[in-house]
Amino acid sequence: MRCGFCGYEFREEEGNQGCSSCPMSSGCKMIKCPRCNYENPPEPKMIKTVKKLFRRGGTPK
Amino acid sequence: MSIFKKKASCHETVSVAASGARKVALVGNPNVGKSVLFNALTGAYVTVSNYPGTSVEVARGNAVIDGVQYEVIDTPGMYSILPITEEERVAREILLNERPHLVIHVLDARNLERMLPMTLQLIEAELPLVLVVNIMDEAARLGLEIDIPELSRRLGIPVIGAATAKKVGLSEIRAAIASVHPVTAPVPRYAPELEEDLAEITELLRGEYILSRKAMALLLLQGDTEVAELVAKLEGDRYGTLEACVREKRFKRRDSFHLDLSLERKAIVQKVLDGTFRVPAVRPVTWSERLSRLTLRPITGVPLLIVVLYYGLYKFVGEFGAGTLVDLLEGKVFEEWFNPWITGVVNNLIPWEIIRELFVGEYGVITLGMRYAVGIILPIVATFFLFFSMLEDSGYFPRLALLVDRIFKKVGLTGRAVIPMVLGFGCDTMATMVTRTLETVRERVIATLLLALAIPCSAQLGVILALLSKAPGALAVWLGCLLLIFLLVGLLAARVLPGETPMFYMELPPMRLPQWSNVLTKTVSRMQWYFMEILPLFIVASVLLWLGKITHFFEKMVDAMTPVMGALGLPKETAVSFIFGFFRRDYGAAGLYDLQTKGILNPRQLTVAAVTLTLFIPCVAQFLIMKKERGWKVSLSIGLFVSTFAFGSGWVLNQVLLATGIL
Ligand SMILES: [Zn+2]
Repeated sequence: MRCGFCGYEFREEEGNQGCSSCPMSSGCKMIKCPRCNYENPPEPKMIKTVKKLFRRGGTPK
Repeated sequence: MSIFKKKASCHETVSVAASGARKVALVGNPNVGKSVLFNALTGAYVTVSNYPGTSVEVARGNAVIDGVQYEVIDTPGMYSILPITEEERVAREILLNERPHLVIHVLDARNLERMLPMTLQLIEAELPLVLVVNIMDEAARLGLEIDIPELSRRLGIPVIGAATAKKVGLSEIRAAIASVHPVTAPVPRYAPELEEDLAEITELLRGEYILSRKAMALLLLQGDTEVAELVAKLEGDRYGTLEACVREKRFKRRDSFHLDLSLERKAIVQKVLDGTFRVPAVRPVTWSERLSRLTLRPITGVPLLIVVLYYGLYKFVGEFGAGTLVDLLEGKVFEEWFNPWITGVVNNLIPWEIIRELFVGEYGVITLGMRYAVGIILPIVATFFLFFSMLEDSGYFPRLALLVDRIFKKVGLTGRAVIPMVLGFGCDTMATMVTRTLETVRERVIATLLLALAIPCSAQLGVILALLSKAPGALAVWLGCLLLIFLLVGLLAARVLPGETPMFYMELPPMRLPQWSNVLTKTVSRMQWYFMEILPLFIVASVLLWLGKITHFFEKMVDAMTPVMGALGLPKETAVSFIFGFFRRDYGAAGLYDLQTKGILNPRQLTVAAVTLTLFIPCVAQFLIMKKERGWKVSLSIGLFVSTFAFGSGWVLNQVLLATGIL
């Protein structure tokens, strides 16, 4: 994914998820950019699966 | 010499290592065609496994060139040999641990300027290097001309122009792998002062390193902890003196080392490219570049910002979201249809007045909590997040950060603080957590204070915009007050708190038209998050308010606050909004919205209430986070200061408005 603030490209797993301490809920799902720490919203699961389906079908072998 | 002492984890690599195959490592940014090259070189026999102790996958394959077997390693994308991400760390580990026989740096011809600084780093590290300038075909289409032989001469390393996706340049790359002999490229030289510092450090380095001493010294200066550990291990007793030396140099350059170094490398790259890299004479300046320039200059940037805010926040969020949509949802759907219906249903089902009150009374979970959450807050945050995600996707935020850097410096912050401030307009609680990323404690405290005081969160902002846009002039007064207070308090805080303001510099990603799929994904995701967060809270708040009502505690609180409201020139009913506001900022604003709809407030009272409520105490969640991040002492002082300051400002504003009669 691309950071919405600084444009840095990183994989979702690399982002810091440091909000587990937040009292608001059981921790938010936001993904923080490893370079600037801007909070990026994760892709909702539904959209992710749809995208994956497209990619599978679309890649030329 | 124990080059292959590292045990490989799978059979194939073991046999490769045992046979003593030479290793070739492909390095470079993501998306430069490394994997295509890797596949072209290795063919079918590829193993992909996690790098030991990490979740990063590394692909290895064999290539036979001129009858010699090579192991080709596709390293994870890296931007610099000073690692930030885990992938970069692994990429560097591979360079360090596997001692590749040859390193191939693949870069994108279209972004030569941006990617060459890493080539300089690799040269500086004295690694056996070949540069592959990939995607030449696309670059040619853009009219870019690159003089490959001259580039090679200037850098002192073999350079190959390629288009791996079209199989152009592959044979040259194979030849380069086969004919590799140690190249001694001239190591780039920096400013004399930095060179002196580096020389002092390199002199203290005695151990055997894979990267050159100069590269090690630079990494030490940049505060690379892994390199520091490695050096500590290899230098043993000598490390103490070395560390002291590095610490001294680091302190001397604390303000702007990363920036200086990046500028120095840029200058070297510029010199290398001068004459070897030609952009077309009449290079069309794209609209995005033109716009980017406009956003950065204060003379054009500030008006542009005002235009963006006017159309985005005022027109779209304020008038459309908080006006049209709220009227429809809250006014029509809830007030006219849903609430009477559900009240009827509950009244029929539940015989006890008190329980009925809990669900459908004045502060009922459904008639108040749900109505506020779905009817007022939802349309407002939806439009706000849509606008926010569009700005985000266009690449406007980093430009905003640079634009406001100058003003922020005056209040003891840097442009970096724009990140939490911008996030604050979404949710102050989230933003307070992000202040953790600011460089100095001083900056963090100032940012936390300003967030608590002068930055309204999205829902509050939307409701207030909607409220005030109905009374001419009120919005201007509200905005003026907040700006004034933001600057004033920031200036004072910067005076009171000791310390200096650090440097700020950031690379700008290109501006582009927002892509609808991205914008929608982000908006949906943010709304989902927001709604999950607020709905339970609204319900809890409703229950608490209901409890307050049946125990008459609420009345007493309103009574207690009446003199304060009186001092502000507000009717006593406004106290309710303030009590709501304590639960959540947006809840309070929604309460104010309710009062205005009932026609209780005149424009002056509306403005005073809006200003006081915006400044007034952060919501419970924000306060808890403040306590967590800054500790009891700081957060209590901030809470106390903010509350008194809010009412004080409200009082002053009321007096001024009464005296001048503007509203
Ligand atoms: Zn970022």
